[in-house]
Amino acid sequence: MTDKTFDIVIVGAGIVGATLARELSAYSLRVAVIDKASDIPSGASRANSAMIHAGYDDQPGTIKADFCPIGNRLYHELAAPLDFTLKECGSYVCGFDDDDRIHLEKLLEQGRANRVPGLEIISGETLRRREPYASGDITHALRAPTGAVINNFEAVLAFIDNAQQNGVELFLETELKDLLLSADGAEVVGVATNRGRLFAPVVVNAAGVYSDLVARMAGDDSFFIRPTRGEYYIMDKRIGSLVNSFFFACPTPKGKGITVAPTAENNLLIGPTSIVQPGRDDTSTTADGLAEVIDGARRLIPSIPLNMAITAFSGLRANPDTKDFIVNVLERPLGFVNAAGIKSPGFTSAPAIACHLVELMKDRLAKRISFIPDPTFIPERKHTPRFEMLSLEEKRRLAEADPRYAQIVCRCEMVTEGQIVEAITRGARTVAAVKIWTRAGAGRCQGGFCGPRVVDILARELGVSCEEITRHGGHSRYLVGKTKDYWFRGEN
Amino acid sequence: MADMQVDVAIIGAGPAGVAAGIGAREAGAEDVLVLERDWDLGGILQQCIHPGFGLHAFKEELTGPEYMHRWIERAHKAGVAFLTNSMVFKMESDGSLWVMNPEKGVFHVTAKATVLAMGCRERPLGAINVPGSRPSGIFTAGTAQRFVNMEGYMPGHRTVILGSGDIGLIMARRLVWEGARVEGVFELMPWAGGLRRNIAQCLNDYGIPFYLSQTVIQVHGRDRLEGVTVAGVDEKRRPVAGTERYIACDCLLLAVGLIPENELSRMAGVDIHAATGGPVLNEFYQTSRPSIFAAGNVVIVYDLADWVSQEGVAAGRNAALYAAGILEKPVRRIEVRGGRNVRLFSPQNIVGSGDVTVYFRVLRPIEKRCRIFAEPGLFERRQRYVRPGEMNEIHLKGAALQALPETVTTITLDAEEV
Ligand SMILES: Cc1cc2nc3c(=O)[nH]c(=O)nc-3n(C[C@H](O)[C@H](O)[C@H](O)COP(=O)(O)OP(=O)(O)OC[C@H]3O[C@@H](n4cnc5c(N)ncnc54)[C@H](O)[C@@H]3O)c2cc1C
Ligand SMILES: Cc1cc2nc3c(=O)[nH]c(=O)nc-3n(C[C@H](O)[C@H](O)[C@H](O)COP(=O)(O)OP(=O)(O)OC[C@H]3O[C@@H](n4cnc5c(N)ncnc54)[C@H](O)[C@@H]3O)c2cc1C
Repeated sequence: MTDKTFDIVIVGAGIVGATLARELSAYSLRVAVIDKASDIPSGASRANSAMIHAGYDDQPGTIKADFCPIGNRLYHELAAPLDFTLKECGSYVCGFDDDDRIHLEKLLEQGRANRVPGLEIISGETLRRREPYASGDITHALRAPTGAVINNFEAVLAFIDNAQQNGVELFLETELKDLLLSADGAEVVGVATNRGRLFAPVVVNAAGVYSDLVARMAGDDSFFIRPTRGEYYIMDKRIGSLVNSFFFACPTPKGKGITVAPTAENNLLIGPTSIVQPGRDDTSTTADGLAEVIDGARRLIPSIPLNMAITAFSGLRANPDTKDFIVNVLERPLGFVNAAGIKSPGFTSAPAIACHLVELMKDRLAKRISFIPDPTFIPERKHTPRFEMLSLEEKRRLAEADPRYAQIVCRCEMVTEGQIVEAITRGARTVAAVKIWTRAGAGRCQGGFCGPRVVDILARELGVSCEEITRHGGHSRYLVGKTKDYWFRGEN
Repeated sequence: MADMQVDVAIIGAGPAGVAAGIGAREAGAEDVLVLERDWDLGGILQQCIHPGFGLHAFKEELTGPEYMHRWIERAHKAGVAFLTNSMVFKMESDGSLWVMNPEKGVFHVTAKATVLAMGCRERPLGAINVPGSRPSGIFTAGTAQRFVNMEGYMPGHRTVILGSGDIGLIMARRLVWEGARVEGVFELMPWAGGLRRNIAQCLNDYGIPFYLSQTVIQVHGRDRLEGVTVAGVDEKRRPVAGTERYIACDCLLLAVGLIPENELSRMAGVDIHAATGGPVLNEFYQTSRPSIFAAGNVVIVYDLADWVSQEGVAAGRNAALYAAGILEKPVRRIEVRGGRNVRLFSPQNIVGSGDVTVYFRVLRPIEKRCRIFAEPGLFERRQRYVRPGEMNEIHLKGAALQALPETVTTITLDAEEV
């Protein structure tokens, strides 16, 4: 990559970078988003509870408390035009005794102060009438009807994809190495990456768990990140209907605790733990963590069967020591913008943060960039077709129009070759990216069957050999070479 | 695309489905259609290029593809119709099917009787809860087998195999032949999951270490697999502190069990047996939905494909008889149960008047003289051993079953020392 010039460079293509990029793409600005990962989302936005919180959790007066309910509303509004999956399931915070009841009252009040609609406290009996598998020990629950679950992969892709359609450039496998400053250090002039320099008068730090290190490059050491791991299990769709809503237990000082939730695709998600980590990218799971997940989940829904787990994963929260989001424009170096330490409920808040940042930049950075609305802005986009979700008639039509949509590749999630080719056309380069786009390999056999075929299709579409295909970029090559007799098959 | 109407529709063209097609035609069904989602016929046996098939069916030792070739020839001669690259994605409770393929698009197949022959899939890593990272280089043994035998690619250079199912054992040898190193096979249980003959021929003959009561407790590596930690386990299968050992490897193969593939069966409302994970059957291979039949690994995981073919023929025959309205009507219903050492067995109930063969697997091995039996007093055979990796058969005489007093509504299978 040779040096390029932009108006704004966003560092990090998580939900924060993605929503901001899309918001900026409504203006006649040259915007670049860089991310060191091979496929997005890759940080916290990839591995989280995917809950669009109602907004009763946060102390009134914090930035989080302001943004969360607005973000919630924006996702509801944007799900259709941006075509990501949002399931309005509502949530329950469950109490087990009188202390918890007091806590629930407090959350109720807090929620009302944050203008969260529809909150109510119901009895354990009422809860169990609606949710027959809820524990008999639950005495009360706070219902929040606007809580929703989202397909977090699709949401990040949707914002980025729409931003790209509107002219934003995305650079993957592009790591910020240093900030470029003017000679006197007073102004931002761009970024240096592993793939060359990008010049821009404005740089936005949306680097998640690395956001304190990026802020350091601008001389901002007002906060540091304490990466906090959360581990999960995903369970088979067959038991997805054990719960209809998102289940929390009363929060403890450690956090919101283990939850039981339906996912946007009707799997069951249980987790997360909350353990501070020394490293910033170790998303392993541990025996202790997973045991804690099971115990916590069974406290809410005792009948969760263990043999229905299809996979385990973990994500790292970018918890800042300041305990609140860091959203600001620095005076010096001018042009440096923080959207840092976006901890939970950061996914929910992201669209609101993006709107706020744009206003902030208009106000503070007007001399550096001008915000002229772009008349050609297209506010909507389509995801690749979700074949499994289509009606029989729609399936028929699609399959007739393009036979590749009649070729099933992932049988567990019913993903067709057409979808995979489309995802590759739109930028998927790895087996993981195909999975993020289409859910191929996300089902109960976890790619056992479709893995070889996805590798094949990637190689074919990208015009490379199967050995060059990686699982998730970097050194994660899927296969290590050819067999001895490959050479005798006349294929090469 | 025009929808189709047939007498017998069969889902899956592995040994079970191909044989069911033959059985159905031989029993007089006119239109017999086998739907297969893969490009080629043969099911899992396409990738089983090792010998060991056909000793029972053909009295000679064949490879998987050779074995299937013979059955497929027979099926073509018998007039069985096949559609490949055709995925059945939905099954209605009347047994009718929604199918799609690139030539015909989405179409509907109605049949007077349907045979489930979808086989099984392998348990993935997530299902067995091994903590650690998720780098590339972790495959189920069957996926690796497909890569090596059909696509010509190597999954890794230094491999650890978790679980001693037959596919894992066979892949251990296969990888050694391809010049890779196999660090060992680790089995959680105190006994082998696969056949004794495979342990001898695939591990011992190649000096591949085999560890019982050991498991992988952690996966290491961020991009590509770098190693695994293994440890011994106690009687409750919990890792024993102090026994951990790190093994460098770039590939982990899983041979930790097979799960019958019954999503379609569930959609159609077929009763599924809690232990086998396959449809509950009577001796006619008939599910709880009378027009739906089932055979092969979709019912219970078999150890030998020869048995699967044999069962497939019978299931196809019964489906054809049902389609013609001449399948024997139930006379009485006897439930089959497993005793202390038996959880997996098929069929689970007996309704007719004829002789019946019941297949079952033991939970724990008995490595000394023992007997397998069906109570009350229906069958007994002495054996030198019974092992979980091997299927046992019990033969019940129709006359003896019919002679049971009315009050007897269950029979029990078991194996015990003598
Ligand atoms: C376990 C867990 C559960 C959660 N549950 C919820 C929930 O239910 N609801 C909710 O609203 N929120 C939840 N959150 C919080 C939410 O996930 C985060 O707030 C949100 O995803 C943060 O987005 P982000 O864009 O700031 O960061 P990220 O998604 O982490 O994105 C940062 C990106 O920056 C890139 N990057 C970093 N450094 C560099 C560099 N030097 N150069 C280039 N690129 C770089 C990274 O590769 C990454 O892609 C949860 C978080 C976790 C971990
Ligand atoms: C990886 C593996 C290796 C094995 N190796 C050996 C061995 O070495 N020796 C041995 O004796 N036994 C072996 N077995 C067991 C033996 O292969 C089986 O007993 C036998 O293949 C079972 O036959 P089947 O017809 O029931 O299933 P399969 O052979 O699995 O055939 C099922 C067929 O159904 C098709 N199908 C499934 N769902 C659909 C759908 N919705 N629509 C259309 N088609 C569908 C599948 O594509 C497949 O072709 C192995 C099994 C596996 C899984």
